[in-house]
Amino acid sequence: MALTIKEQLSSPGGFLKFLIKHNTIFIFIVLVLFSALISDVFFTSVNLSNLLKQVSGIGIISIGMLIVILTGGIDLSVGSMVALLAVTFAILVNTFILPLAILLTIVIGFSLGSVAGYLVAFQKMAPFIATLALMTIARGLGFIYAKGSPITFTTYGGLYMSDFANNSTLGIPNIAIVFFLIVICAMVMLRYNVFGRLIIAIGSNEEASRLSGIKVNKYKFLVYAISGALAATAAIIVASRTNLGSPNMGMAWELDAIAAVVIGGASLNGGKGTAINTLMGVLILGLISNILNLLNVPSYPQQVVKGAIIIFAVLLQKFESK
Amino acid sequence: MKTENSEYRVEMTGISKSFGVVSVLEGVNLRVKHGEIHALLGENGAGKSTLVKILSGVHQKDGGKVLLNGEELNLKNTHEGQVKGISVVYQELSLVNDLSVAENIYLHKLGANKFWMNWKKITKDAQELIDSLGFKIDASARVRDLSIVQKQVVEIAKALSEDTKVLVLDEPTTVFDPTDTQKLFDNLFRLKEKGISIIYISHHLEEIFKIADSITVLRDGVDTGCLPVSETDTDSIIRLMIGRELKDLYPVRNATVGAEPIFEVKNLTAKNNLVHNVSFSVKPGEVLGIAGLGGSGRTETAKLIFGAEKKKSGTLILNGKEIKTKTPVDAVGHQIGFVSEDRKEEGVFLPLSIRRNISVTNFRPISSRLGFLKVDKEYENVLDLIEKLNVKAPSSEVNVGNLSGGNQQKVALAKWLSVDSKVIIIDEPTRGVDVGAKVEIYNLINEVAEKGVGVVVISSDMPEIMGISDRIMVMHKGTFYGELTKDQFSEENILRYSIGKALKTT
Repeated sequence: MALTIKEQLSSPGGFLKFLIKHNTIFIFIVLVLFSALISDVFFTSVNLSNLLKQVSGIGIISIGMLIVILTGGIDLSVGSMVALLAVTFAILVNTFILPLAILLTIVIGFSLGSVAGYLVAFQKMAPFIATLALMTIARGLGFIYAKGSPITFTTYGGLYMSDFANNSTLGIPNIAIVFFLIVICAMVMLRYNVFGRLIIAIGSNEEASRLSGIKVNKYKFLVYAISGALAATAAIIVASRTNLGSPNMGMAWELDAIAAVVIGGASLNGGKGTAINTLMGVLILGLISNILNLLNVPSYPQQVVKGAIIIFAVLLQKFESK
Repeated sequence: MKTENSEYRVEMTGISKSFGVVSVLEGVNLRVKHGEIHALLGENGAGKSTLVKILSGVHQKDGGKVLLNGEELNLKNTHEGQVKGISVVYQELSLVNDLSVAENIYLHKLGANKFWMNWKKITKDAQELIDSLGFKIDASARVRDLSIVQKQVVEIAKALSEDTKVLVLDEPTTVFDPTDTQKLFDNLFRLKEKGISIIYISHHLEEIFKIADSITVLRDGVDTGCLPVSETDTDSIIRLMIGRELKDLYPVRNATVGAEPIFEVKNLTAKNNLVHNVSFSVKPGEVLGIAGLGGSGRTETAKLIFGAEKKKSGTLILNGKEIKTKTPVDAVGHQIGFVSEDRKEEGVFLPLSIRRNISVTNFRPISSRLGFLKVDKEYENVLDLIEKLNVKAPSSEVNVGNLSGGNQQKVALAKWLSVDSKVIIIDEPTRGVDVGAKVEIYNLINEVAEKGVGVVVISSDMPEIMGISDRIMVMHKGTFYGELTKDQFSEENILRYSIGKALKTT
């Protein structure tokens, strides 16, 4: 029911319910406060902008993952796609002028995503299987094209991109701005556009959608294609940050993206999830790594903590649905 | 045995139950004798299902007392209830699709105390049980491959596989046609002879008068009386159920029927041949009823027309022009609407709000060319329809899953009213819907017809289909067997055509 925040807070047990309902933001705030208390370095602009730079790539593919998950699907190929497309971009930027290289990379990303979309929507393949296959194909192709080693940017266009990716505007890293713009776009499309309405409808009841005259196949196809295009955008960003495209990039990123979307309260059955909460999920995951790094916790215990936080967040959502 | 110690098999007194702030039951009493069929009646949301779930152990009561054979009962879960001999057949089917019929029937016993399963014996026992009910189902078949009617039978067989003392049936006949219903009733009488107490929940009052010994009526969480069936009649039961007189169940038809058909179907045949050579036409303002037994191809015909199933051949003509409906998208494009019989799976989006449900069929009037929603217009349209259909909900933002069956059905209909449909096909318009909402839905169908829409109604409910149709086509074995004009309407005539017999000549 649409209650205002004030009404929610004043109803019996309201504060607790409010916390549970908005648990993602709650966890985020607690983590920020905790981080600020525990480390002096946390609230420095250097650290914060590092944090944002680190999450932007995964953040962008998480938005793609969100729209796929909203339809009830999953896209396991995005991590490998980032690798293949980063290599592709490195080759293209060394060959063509910059705008053309960017455009081509995104078009190729869209096309690769379309393959998954075609298999899922028109060949009725299980999303898990179709994108699993594409995951290994993309990774393999990445290594083939790169001949096993990273490809460094050599042209003026490439240097311009790496400048862009490592600098800030008004104190915010440029690549984070790209990420935030994508989040805002997704928010608008999901909330105020028919596109969002339809993919959520498909995710919550595919058969009812079909019998309501919705072009179910078209939209299922589109979400994978868009996810591919977003993987391309993420690839351009991560390649530009390091000035090279490597087939080792984006390793296991699909899992982080899924985790971010789930921490953001989305349902893997589809039909439930928002862009702003996915953003929170991305930031929460980023914050955890960041603070553990500041505390000099080695990377193996970090993985354990990350997993524990995912479980905690999802358990909290269980309370929400009760 | 303590069986004869008390007059009643089940005695529930002063039962109260609330979910959060919503109070569902407030001091309800229900007393069921040994070997009695006791009808539990009430509108949707009156608390029938909750009461039954307290009896079976799904929910725990907040207050009151439950006695079984005079002994107090405090069940913590359904397993304890089953051990005591309380079996429930719920409205929502609870079978495991990927297991066989036999495995489903004995699911609760699988892995009980033995390590190895005797599959042969289980399948044999299950087959005997089903055969004894008089239905034809292969016990080794997978549940997924069964029709909804067969699934319901399996559900009932499952409840009877135990040493059942109290059998609760929640709307068991909604999916049944008259022959199947009669078979079920015969079985219930047999069980009653054996001394089993049966609690029977139904919206079909005529059924109650056929089988029940006594009834208890619930209204808004309190019981409004328990009386023997012999001392009551339909009108007084309806008065107890809705608290007012209900004059005319079926509205007066005053739509002007056009001369030329708005929609014609010629020689429609399905790819799988389950439906063949179906031809009919419907005129603007006309309500055409399609009757027939379950499995006679009624729903399949509707889905064929709507493009939801594959056609082999056949012609569709809308307003004199031939149209093609390869997919539902095409059908909706030609302004044909379809309300499915399976409301929860195919009709509405349970986790989405009423607003999102209604808007889903037609975004054109409420969005810009780039697909951006004009939310003001959407609200206007949705609130208008909610008011017009009298959907009972606190706001348009309530999830449809939280509404009662009748209100869900209204939302499913509203979807097609927000588009200006030329033809609307409604499959089982009032399945699982209470009396009050039924009348509203009938009025709605009438209003839609008055606007010049061609309405096709498929229904297994004979009084209903005779009450609202101008003409009835009866299906038998996948094709139209005969047509009945208004003066020929009678249950007997519909049944004769349904089973492939000619009408009696008088």
